[in-house]
Amino acid sequence: MTWFRYFIDYFSILVLPLMIVGLPVYGLIRGVKVYEEFVEGAKEGFRVAVMIIPYLVAILFAIGMFRASGAMDFLVETLEPLLGMVGFPPEMLPMAIIRPLTGSGSAAVVADMVAAFGADSILVKMAGVMFGSTETTFYIIAVYFGAVNVKKTRHAVPAGLTADIFAMIFAVYLVQWLFGGA
Amino acid sequence: MLNYIWAGLIVAALAFAIVSDLRDGASDRFRNHAALPIALEYPEGYREEARRVPVRIRIDAETYQSFYSVDAAPDSVYAGHVLRTQAGARLFFAEHAALPDPLLRIRDFSGGDALEGTLGAENAAAALVATSVRFDPVRFPHLQDITRAAFDFADTAVEIAIGLVGVLALFLGLLKIAEAGGLIRQMARLVEPLLHPLFPAVPKGHPAFAMIVLNLSANVLGLGNAATPLGIKAMEELQTLNPVKDTATNPMVMLLAMNTASVQLVPPALLVAVIGLQVNELIFPIIAVTGASLAVATGTAWLLERAPLWKRSDPNARPAEPTASGEDAP
Repeated sequence: MTWFRYFIDYFSILVLPLMIVGLPVYGLIRGVKVYEEFVEGAKEGFRVAVMIIPYLVAILFAIGMFRASGAMDFLVETLEPLLGMVGFPPEMLPMAIIRPLTGSGSAAVVADMVAAFGADSILVKMAGVMFGSTETTFYIIAVYFGAVNVKKTRHAVPAGLTADIFAMIFAVYLVQWLFGGA
Repeated sequence: MLNYIWAGLIVAALAFAIVSDLRDGASDRFRNHAALPIALEYPEGYREEARRVPVRIRIDAETYQSFYSVDAAPDSVYAGHVLRTQAGARLFFAEHAALPDPLLRIRDFSGGDALEGTLGAENAAAALVATSVRFDPVRFPHLQDITRAAFDFADTAVEIAIGLVGVLALFLGLLKIAEAGGLIRQMARLVEPLLHPLFPAVPKGHPAFAMIVLNLSANVLGLGNAATPLGIKAMEELQTLNPVKDTATNPMVMLLAMNTASVQLVPPALLVAVIGLQVNELIFPIIAVTGASLAVATGTAWLLERAPLWKRSDPNARPAEPTASGEDAP
């Protein structure tokens, strides 16, 4: 596993410089007017970023309000007994709820858990796997669909959330199976 | 769906804020209008007529706990100062002092960096002066919190979006070179057999395939900075195939679902920053979970696009509205 880790680490360090240098060099070889084409493409950067703003404001302010209202605590309180019955550790619930909503918020939850349970506790391992294996679904929807002005998201939310819920549950049981018993 | 979730978040926020505030109000959590007994330690030889006098504030833990009915205990001594004006004496705790709950909350509510309150009558006894302090009343703090959060996050959203401008420009520029040189078309042809089953609506050899592969590869390698512009570019390519510009097509949702599953072989930098080297142990479970959730994401997207509700809203299933046409990219 270690050699694999090193390989991936080095590869991921190398790939960006290679791409940033390699594409213009490739363009030159193919006879592309590289500077002109680059500027032409880069022009789009600002327009796309500005296009995202309304979508991102809509999503983030709603999530921010929800977090600030204390609704999370209430959800945790009500769902705790239910989760206890299926062997899902109730301590993981805040993480599971907040992960699809905000990236920085869920990083803060992991940091809190490290402080509360210690970095090598099984709960922190679960939180880490949850964090590493899922994405901030609502943020991605805002950015990716916002960039092309798509408002009607159809089945994107249910598909994204189904994958998230599955990943949360699988993360808990897999970590329990791998590191549990202690 | 997003309409309901979005409205639900906002309405739930308001409802919970009001409920929490009423509960706090009923239990008088902040002891509005009541005075907390404290003791002040004045510096030796201070001038009594001075306007601003530094003091050390002593709060008895038991008194504090019974006064606020909490378990949190204050530090034995806090730095602060007394400010005497014609309106009376005000006590200020040092800025950013490590205060226990609910004093912290009272300070946050006031919006200042220093907790302050009105000083009661002072009962001088040697070096230690027994007195009390009455903090300004706290009313509907959660309601104020959610309003503040709405404003703060609206700002944050703009910061994030504007923060993307540079990286977006860089990658969109590089991709333009790759396109002009024909690399994107070659790549699209290369990966098309792999991706076509998941994106059957995308015609053979379309550059969208190349962008999708670049986006997913950047995700796999944990290159968040590159993944976002590449994903946006992939969406733009898919949008050129979309007859109804404000509605997501099946390939768009598929790409989004694959992105939310976020397959990665490299743990995200943020996670490494938070839990440190422990991450090494987690790489295998992360890869396993993320791979499985990718399967679930694609499977769910595949199933849901066949569900009657979403089938009806498929932009490719109905004739293009005449008003929406005319802006098809070349």
